[in-house]
Amino acid sequence: MGVPFRTIVVYVDGSEGALSAIMYAILLAKQNQARLVAAAVVNTKALGELVRAGIFVDVEREEYQRDLQSDSERYLRHAERLAKQKDVPIETVKLEGTVNVEMMNLLKDRHADLFVLGGVSDVRSRREELASETDRMMRVAPCPVLVVRDDEDIWEAFESQGV
Amino acid sequence: MNIADVIEKDLIKVPLESTDKLGIITELVDVLAKAKNYSAEQRKTVLDAVLKREELGSTGIGKGICIPHAKTNSVKAIRLVIGISRVSVDFGSPDGEKSRMFFLVLAPEDAASAHVELLASIARTCSSPLFRRLLEQAKQADEVYRLFMD
Repeated sequence: MGVPFRTIVVYVDGSEGALSAIMYAILLAKQNQARLVAAAVVNTKALGELVRAGIFVDVEREEYQRDLQSDSERYLRHAERLAKQKDVPIETVKLEGTVNVEMMNLLKDRHADLFVLGGVSDVRSRREELASETDRMMRVAPCPVLVVRDDEDIWEAFESQGV
Repeated sequence: MNIADVIEKDLIKVPLESTDKLGIITELVDVLAKAKNYSAEQRKTVLDAVLKREELGSTGIGKGICIPHAKTNSVKAIRLVIGISRVSVDFGSPDGEKSRMFFLVLAPEDAASAHVELLASIARTCSSPLFRRLLEQAKQADEVYRLFMD
């Protein structure tokens, strides 16, 4: 673990909060000359829960699995495009499984010294807070965590800072 | 994405008035169409998508819960409509139990991740027998809303 950061991992999930997080992580990686890794997780745990609960029939499970795969690939391609805009090298990783478990393993595997994530909404329900993947990721991360608020300032900073 | 992210008071109806499966689904779609000022065509596309999904197999999951759902680009964002019925309705649930609690979930076609997460969030929340009892006994939309937000 080091300061300035050497390896930054950012979680992407297609939310606006995650977009802010990617931009922030790219700027941070550039400033620190850090290695940047963007990761998306195909949430097969949630898919499994839906099949077990009887909400999805088999044909739906297959269809949604394909959709989730292509969503993740799209998020990662977008991260690559943003990083390229700032001339920052980026490694993209697509994982499958339980989001918090997969992210924890990746952080350990890459010896990350900073985990950046967005998409943290206001706590409006204790019930949901306990089940939130973001909350779990923050709890289990083996390194410092930076939570990026979805803020126009970040978008402006990203647009204004030159290559 | 979870229930707290999408729940809206004007998308909750207690009690539902219909007494059969088609009526319940139509009523839930109408709650959405009215609240969001959908055109007749938009309403029909949404209803058709939900009924088409229902043809694949019942969305009654047992314990009195039904989660009709569909992907359709007629909605611009994920929508959740909740309805509680005073009458038990046969949705063909695997446990043979009739249903009184209904969650209509609609998502644009490019929002699979959020769609799956929301459905899983509903399934998780409704796995509690105590929660189901409180939900079933709710008398007004406000009460249902508070149950999810407490």
